[in-house]
Amino acid sequence: MNKRFGLVIDQERCIGCEACTVACKIENNSIGHWIQVETQKVPQKDTPSGQYPDLKLEWLPRLCNHCANPPCVDACPNEALVKREDGPVIYDQEKCDGCQVCVGACPYNVILYIQEKNTIEKCNLCVHRIDKGLEPFCVICCEGQAIYFGDLNDPNSVVSQKIASREAFQLKPEAGTNPSVYYCPPKPRRRL
Amino acid sequence: MKETNEIKLVRTACPAHCGIDACGILAHVKGDRIIKLEPAEFPNKVDRRICLRGLSSLDITYHPDRLKYPMKRIGERGEGKFERISWDEAYEIIAEKFKEISDKYGWRSIGWVLGGPGAGTTKFGAYLRIASLTQSTRVSAWGYGDAGLPCGSRVIFGSQFPYMYLFGKFWQRNWPELLVVWGANPGESMPLQTMRKIMDAKENGTQIVVIDTRFTVTASKADEFLGLKPGTDSALALGLMNVIFQNELHNIEFIREHTNGPYLVRSDNGKILRGKDIGDKKADSYIIWEESSNSPKPVRRKNLQSASITGTYNVNGIECKPVFQLLKDLTQQYPPEKAAEITGVEANLIIKLAKKLGNTKNVTFFTYMGFTRTCHGDISLRGLCSVASVTGHVATSFSSGYLPAVLNWDPFLKAVPDRPSFHRLGILNLYEAVISGKPYPIKALWFAFINFLNQCVDCNKIIKEFYPKLEFIVQTELFMTPSARYADLLLPVCSFLEFSDFVSHPYPYVQLQQKVIEPLYESKSDVNIVAGLAEKLGYGDYFKGGEEAMIDMITDHSSLEGYNRETLGKGAMLLRALPEGGNFPLNFRTPSRKIELYAEQLVEDGQELPVYLPPIEAPITPGEKKYPLTFIQGHSRFRTHSMFSNVKSLLELNPEPIVEINSIDAKARNISDNDMVTVFNDRARTTLKARISDSVGPGVVNITEGWWIEQFKEGSVNHLTHDIINPVQNKIYEPNMHMNDVAVDIMKYKEGGK
Repeated sequence: MNKRFGLVIDQERCIGCEACTVACKIENNSIGHWIQVETQKVPQKDTPSGQYPDLKLEWLPRLCNHCANPPCVDACPNEALVKREDGPVIYDQEKCDGCQVCVGACPYNVILYIQEKNTIEKCNLCVHRIDKGLEPFCVICCEGQAIYFGDLNDPNSVVSQKIASREAFQLKPEAGTNPSVYYCPPKPRRRL
Repeated sequence: MKETNEIKLVRTACPAHCGIDACGILAHVKGDRIIKLEPAEFPNKVDRRICLRGLSSLDITYHPDRLKYPMKRIGERGEGKFERISWDEAYEIIAEKFKEISDKYGWRSIGWVLGGPGAGTTKFGAYLRIASLTQSTRVSAWGYGDAGLPCGSRVIFGSQFPYMYLFGKFWQRNWPELLVVWGANPGESMPLQTMRKIMDAKENGTQIVVIDTRFTVTASKADEFLGLKPGTDSALALGLMNVIFQNELHNIEFIREHTNGPYLVRSDNGKILRGKDIGDKKADSYIIWEESSNSPKPVRRKNLQSASITGTYNVNGIECKPVFQLLKDLTQQYPPEKAAEITGVEANLIIKLAKKLGNTKNVTFFTYMGFTRTCHGDISLRGLCSVASVTGHVATSFSSGYLPAVLNWDPFLKAVPDRPSFHRLGILNLYEAVISGKPYPIKALWFAFINFLNQCVDCNKIIKEFYPKLEFIVQTELFMTPSARYADLLLPVCSFLEFSDFVSHPYPYVQLQQKVIEPLYESKSDVNIVAGLAEKLGYGDYFKGGEEAMIDMITDHSSLEGYNRETLGKGAMLLRALPEGGNFPLNFRTPSRKIELYAEQLVEDGQELPVYLPPIEAPITPGEKKYPLTFIQGHSRFRTHSMFSNVKSLLELNPEPIVEINSIDAKARNISDNDMVTVFNDRARTTLKARISDSVGPGVVNITEGWWIEQFKEGSVNHLTHDIINPVQNKIYEPNMHMNDVAVDIMKYKEGGK
């Protein structure tokens, strides 16, 4: 069976620091932020939901889901987006003409259109690193050690283990895209 | 520059003032330029670490605004007009000025204001050494927020820090059943060394309680959050102990063995009863009431466990009570309902937590410096430590772990063994010394790794009363910071990638901060700057060999045998492990050599017990004061104090200062999210954007510290703060700045408004 590389992001360990955002931008020398850390249920970043002192503060880092059935790849008229056999959905900046069809096709709003160079940008799962046997840069820079990388097709991989043990979920399963990025929800509080 | 494709890897360490996180950094160098930084390996893979600031360090090293050469002021102080001079000219000017001032007022009128060196050591040491050689004044920066904790810790544990007693075992990855994080936010200020461990512990079943005045990142991971009003921590501690004692959940054996709880105290004068008071030949011996013989006895190891810790006794006509009884009497004034009224924490939560603390075998308390940035922060710490002590949750020995590194500070603290060394002045005492010449006049200051005006209290006072009294100001800096503008002479210093230093963190490792590239422009390391001046002053011999020699000096200690520039050049090294099955006692260097629940030296101050004293300025009771809101300064993950405030990659994510205000307070003032608002008190006005956020409770507003003055529309955080000195802290150690004990009000911004 082919490998299917993916990520598991543990919301229980995510401290919303955005080191992943900074690390990704530096590693990929990008213009946009390919990972955007969303503070859930509130309009403003890093503000809790609820009323003092009964509050919640949870983060969800959003990035390309490297879907098994990627609508962006189907939509791109220029074959600038490619689904690799081992999982990553990557884009070719040379082939992209900035038409933005993929931006509209993506249910997750994680493909960025960069006006100044008239192309898209998005996470490519650090294929330049994983091809050398290294983990994506966000994984090794995560302050909370909340991001796991591995082969979703290998039941013994750390990602498969996390998914099995933690009720991990994918974003918008109804879109039928089958994302390769999973999230583990925060654990319920054990009150005094 | 030589064209090359070859990438050289250099392992170094980030010494930023978050200090103990001390991330190991692997720098990729192409030619003479660093092209990438990544987290370096540690002997234990799980300890590999970097933060968003460390990742952004190249934006500092290669920042276009870096100071590039020595400069002399040509405009007014504060104007920021300078002209380029050579290093030799700079040294000449300093040497001449120092001579002139020392001839007139003595060398002690020249002070070295050393800020936070972070994890750096010899860059700090070099200044101590020159201060020691010249017998000038070392201005300690503990008082700029970090003196309250040592004050409290010195009283109760006899130690500068309470950490090893409270959470040393936690750092050795011994997970407790319950972890109480009190008044600290490691989620932002210590994410790698502490927050990761907190999450590891939680994954392994530890229940997490966070007590704070703000719902922080750390609080977001808590099983229970207790939100309390700023500066009321000791009332909460007394409330907790009230419940613990009412339910007899205190640990009597521990109190007898490790605290001064059983020692008898005279009711007439509050002094601890001594042998001489009852005619015992051991005049200084402490006295206990022995239950088995029902009589007073000088304390002995063998009679401790039969010591009474409660009751009132008549000893040779002197009425006495054990320390513990006095503490118990005090806590009786703080039943949970009363503690709830003062602190804002629900009584029922106080009761639940107290019972949990008393009924749980293994509890760890975690706190840090921020806990003590209110006027009586030292007592807050004593309160926390008292709760931990009466329940037996204080480590008195280690059975495993790593021996801490002891650095050889001798050559720096006392450069010439048989001659007096430098004078010492706390940074909050410096205000008076400069402005009114008390206790002695300070006429010239050298600021190093400190953004004094930005980070210290009461900016207007500094600008209007402090700076004008100084005849000469030197500053080493990377950038034209708000403080740098006031220097007479400005010296460009290296970023951490351009010089070497010894880094004794993170526990249980030591590291080498290795120079990755040659200093850019004409910048120099602090060590080399001091060495250059020392040459002019005739002390050149003491600095021969530069950074390397300093590193060799500071690592010259038996605890660091084998840890040197050569061995550390390869990577972080684990400290020596304690022998298996050993017992490494943690001593208490208090007068009684015990945990002092009762501090005899503070009887005349009325602070012998961890009493609750309300904040000095913060208005915790609504309608009580002219300015009804308490202003606090949390820490931001985007900055290390005022470092990184000008870094583009971080400003993209966090572009401007905001004040967090609770929805109730905002509504009462008709303030909406993103409105420009003015925070004000009698000292100043500070204008910035509002963020409506229940991360602060009603009555509290928060602006994270570190933003530079020019990043505000007007004012800044420290325009609002005050320089009130707590006399008890002054007596114990040195006075702290009370950045979280400040009263303000807030209104919508009006152009030119008052």
